Amino acid sequence: MTDVGQTADHERVAPTAVPERSGALEWASLPRLIVTVYTPLIAFVVILLFPFYWMAITTFKSNEELYNYKEYNPFWISSPTLANVKKLLFETDYPQWLVTTMTVAVVSTVISLFASVLAAYAIQRLKFKNSEWVGLAIYLAYLVPPSILFIPLATMVFRFGLYDSPMALILTYPTFLIPFCTWLLIGYFKSIPYELEECALVDGATRLQIMWKITLPLAVPGLISAGIFAFTLSWNEFIYALAFIQSSENKTVPVAVLTQLVEGDVYHWGSLMAGALLGSVPVAIIYSFFVDYYVSSLTGAVKE
Amino acid sequence: MNRFTRRDSIKIGAGAVAGAALIGLPNRRAHAQSYALADPTPPDQPIEDGASLRVLRPSKFVDGDERLFLENSKKFTEATGVDVKVDISSWEDLRPQVATAANVGSGPDVVMAWSDDPHKFADKVLDLTDLATYLGEKYGGWWPLAEKYGIKDGRWIGMPLGASGGTQVYRKSFLQEAGYETPPNDLDGFLTCCQKLKEVGHPAGYALGNAVGDANGWCTWVVWAHGGKLLDDDDNVVLNSPETIEAVKYAKALYDTFIPGTLSWLDPSNNKAFLAGEIGLTQNGISIYYAAKNSDDAAVKALAEDIYHAEVPIGPVGRPTQRALVVNSMVFGYTPYPNAAKEYLRFMMEEEQYAPYLDACIGYWNHPLQTYDSHPVWTTDPKHEPYKHVFRDALWDGYSGSISEQSSVVLSEFVIVQMIASVCAGEATPEEAVAEAERRTLRYFR
Amino acid sequence: MATTARQGLARVEDGWLTRFFDNRRVLVFLFMLPAAGLLLLFLTYPLGLGVWLGFTDTKIGRAGEFIGFENYSWLFTDKVFWGAVWFTIVYTVVATIGKFTLGLWLALLLNRTLPFKSILRALILLPWIVPTVLSAIAFWWIYDPQFSIISYVLVDVLGWRDSYIDFLGVPNNARASLIVANIWRGIPFVAICLLAGLQTISPSLYEAAMIDGASAWRRFWHITLPLLMPILAVVLTFSVLFTFTDFQLVYAITRGGPVNSTHLMATLAFQRGITGGYLGEGAAIAVAMIPFLIFATCFSYFALANRKWQQGGKDD
Repeated sequence: MTDVGQTADHERVAPTAVPERSGALEWASLPRLIVTVYTPLIAFVVILLFPFYWMAITTFKSNEELYNYKEYNPFWISSPTLANVKKLLFETDYPQWLVTTMTVAVVSTVISLFASVLAAYAIQRLKFKNSEWVGLAIYLAYLVPPSILFIPLATMVFRFGLYDSPMALILTYPTFLIPFCTWLLIGYFKSIPYELEECALVDGATRLQIMWKITLPLAVPGLISAGIFAFTLSWNEFIYALAFIQSSENKTVPVAVLTQLVEGDVYHWGSLMAGALLGSVPVAIIYSFFVDYYVSSLTGAVKE
Repeated sequence: MNRFTRRDSIKIGAGAVAGAALIGLPNRRAHAQSYALADPTPPDQPIEDGASLRVLRPSKFVDGDERLFLENSKKFTEATGVDVKVDISSWEDLRPQVATAANVGSGPDVVMAWSDDPHKFADKVLDLTDLATYLGEKYGGWWPLAEKYGIKDGRWIGMPLGASGGTQVYRKSFLQEAGYETPPNDLDGFLTCCQKLKEVGHPAGYALGNAVGDANGWCTWVVWAHGGKLLDDDDNVVLNSPETIEAVKYAKALYDTFIPGTLSWLDPSNNKAFLAGEIGLTQNGISIYYAAKNSDDAAVKALAEDIYHAEVPIGPVGRPTQRALVVNSMVFGYTPYPNAAKEYLRFMMEEEQYAPYLDACIGYWNHPLQTYDSHPVWTTDPKHEPYKHVFRDALWDGYSGSISEQSSVVLSEFVIVQMIASVCAGEATPEEAVAEAERRTLRYFR
Repeated sequence: MATTARQGLARVEDGWLTRFFDNRRVLVFLFMLPAAGLLLLFLTYPLGLGVWLGFTDTKIGRAGEFIGFENYSWLFTDKVFWGAVWFTIVYTVVATIGKFTLGLWLALLLNRTLPFKSILRALILLPWIVPTVLSAIAFWWIYDPQFSIISYVLVDVLGWRDSYIDFLGVPNNARASLIVANIWRGIPFVAICLLAGLQTISPSLYEAAMIDGASAWRRFWHITLPLLMPILAVVLTFSVLFTFTDFQLVYAITRGGPVNSTHLMATLAFQRGITGGYLGEGAAIAVAMIPFLIFATCFSYFALANRKWQQGGKDD
């Protein structure tokens, strides 16, 4: 498909009318680099990060500054205040929401990792009849979006008496976490050489021992990737949390910020932005520690 | 003496709760004015052992509303030992939450629901007849509109706590710039006034997003003022009428004078725009005035002087056609503590709690019990007065048919609002929009 | 490994329990049980249940009766529904094109030796890891009719406009604003995935092409793009799928307004099913997404990846 030789042939046969620039010129000239690389790159970074900057700066502005662009430069804070953060932490259920979100995210991640490790191991290492098809089915399961499932799931949640309970989320989040984690871990297991296991088998270890003592320790990076990814996905989940939870103290941060902090006759942009900022911080911190795992899981998932 | 009264009322407005109970003192000489006209025996509802309650209510638009509500709830806890947890929900989220709780059979025990919600769940809420009868006897009777919203098939299923009415809220100085002292009280004059306001750069602004209070309020007013209505007296759907089309055209003409952006406005939007000085006229409860009066910001506080209220214009039908946004309390049948819940409602409605509550809201939630007409909140500030007769004058949703589950859905699906909004957005002609609205309505009434 | 040796010995005299747990079939069954159980119960079953609900008039709290295609025939004549379908398609197509054009560009920019490259990469991914709703709220604030910073810059700083932009109050503005927000959030994902793809392309190919005198554009068109195709196809499938079924952005910023003009099928399903309580109708809307999804998935996958399939690269 990508026959370079052919391409080159084609070029030699039919040279373009426009004279070609020499390749060397491209990376030699600094001004050109500035125009074609650095400027667009900086523009990208600025645009991609601006909303966060805006979020942060709004959080620490006082109300009079917030709505007065004439006397204050909106891009800067002249007298930073912690009032919005204080209000959020002491006058709302925000700490409670954080705890709920954390609990739900951690528990559903643990459940999903447990189920996924076993499933991935079975599919990739124990190799049963049709295991490839099961792998494919799990891949397809990841493609089923929550927007299609939330209504029937809601009827089930109502029927099981789980409505308004964090259990509803803990049990439903694995539906999108397990397919993802399993898929990722299958890829990881694939990269661990069989020989190690075979040796152990010859030595008389049981399959459980092999998995526990040999394969899993080698798959730790994969587990970390899957784990933090699952955690982030649960932290960010919105539609189930919106549909299945009602009372304020059981809400997760994304839902609560949107439904509990928008009130009354003024949008309290200061505390809304504080809520958004603080809700982003935990994932951002975890992310910053594990960027590489994160990127590898993201790209690994795509690269099969 | 007079001075003292004025100062006292300002203090109350500013949030001095302790002062609230004293308001009657200088005026009436009685230590605490009593609103009870009779002394019936309260219904016998012994509170269950170990009872606790969850209460769900809409978020506040005036601080005093929530403050007193929470204080009164706390007083109830102190008096009875029943723990009360109050959840607060934004206006547009309240309905779905209540619907889910009702049908799933778990959630809050007591809900301060919107207007006709109890009618949606008539078989799922407790009978409040004893309680309502008792309160009615004691406090001079319920207004007919309160009975309309509270009673279904001879049974009280909901108990109105208050109602917010939309009157015209305007900046006098802006109107004067446009050559008016007060907004005209007829439809044509009113439209001209809005056009002039736009010319002088202080346009009107009315919410056209899915705003529970404001958008429903002014859209139904326009339809009713022209003689259009959702249902006739026998509950037939009659929305698609020349009157309604006329109303939609009028609304579109009004819309053309509005500040840009009203199509996405929710309940808070006009308050914000008004207080920011961007609009000169809107239709709203007393919350804008309240916010100005109690603002920490001197500039905003000065606005209060310039804010006035006027009755909504009267159309060809020849009678006031404002809508009331009723807060209708109800108790879900699934509550394990029905007596505690009913006692809680009784407690909140008794004068010791209700009178200061009304005061703290400066009448934002108009009283459903007639005796409170004599409450000083309606006289301490002449600007409160236009909100005094919401329960007496307003029409009900589903007018002129009956309030039903179906009429309630038409409201919660914003059929009327979207009918008008789609024409204002230029996405449909008035005729198409009205036909579409009727089609949607018929689906619920099938 | 001392342990292994010891266990090797132990194995001979193992009880039936150990042998039972060392049986491959038993293990497969036990290992698959948690994942399969959870997925069958909370994914496969609801999927079927959703299809069934679409044929009933179920409301919250009231089990529905079978009503055949009534929900669908109602939706078929419902302007709001068709508006949502139309906007969902526009939203998906425009946002996807935007995300891929800009994402690919960004990936190409990053695919060279740059200072602070890893920090840069980490920063760029930020929009993607922060909860969508929270960044959506930031956009909501950026799109505020009175205090929008964009309007401020255009009007008060640059003087390019006379009046503040009504981002969310006019249907087309609101649609465009949402699409921009979606592109903003999607760029990092696309860029980082494609960057990973770019890094697998051997530099020797480029060197060869440069020796042949191929221009930058030609090198991109004849080397980069074809070699990127397989990964592009997968990323595209994902992106299309998640854009098509998006919910959070719209729900947080406009809730489908003004006048239902920005409803996506997912938000309309929520509005009708959960908010309105008509679960049957909501489910029907959700089910109506499925054919579009299958089509979009097949299209983006096969159209771009078919070469790979022809080459027999089957285990994906």
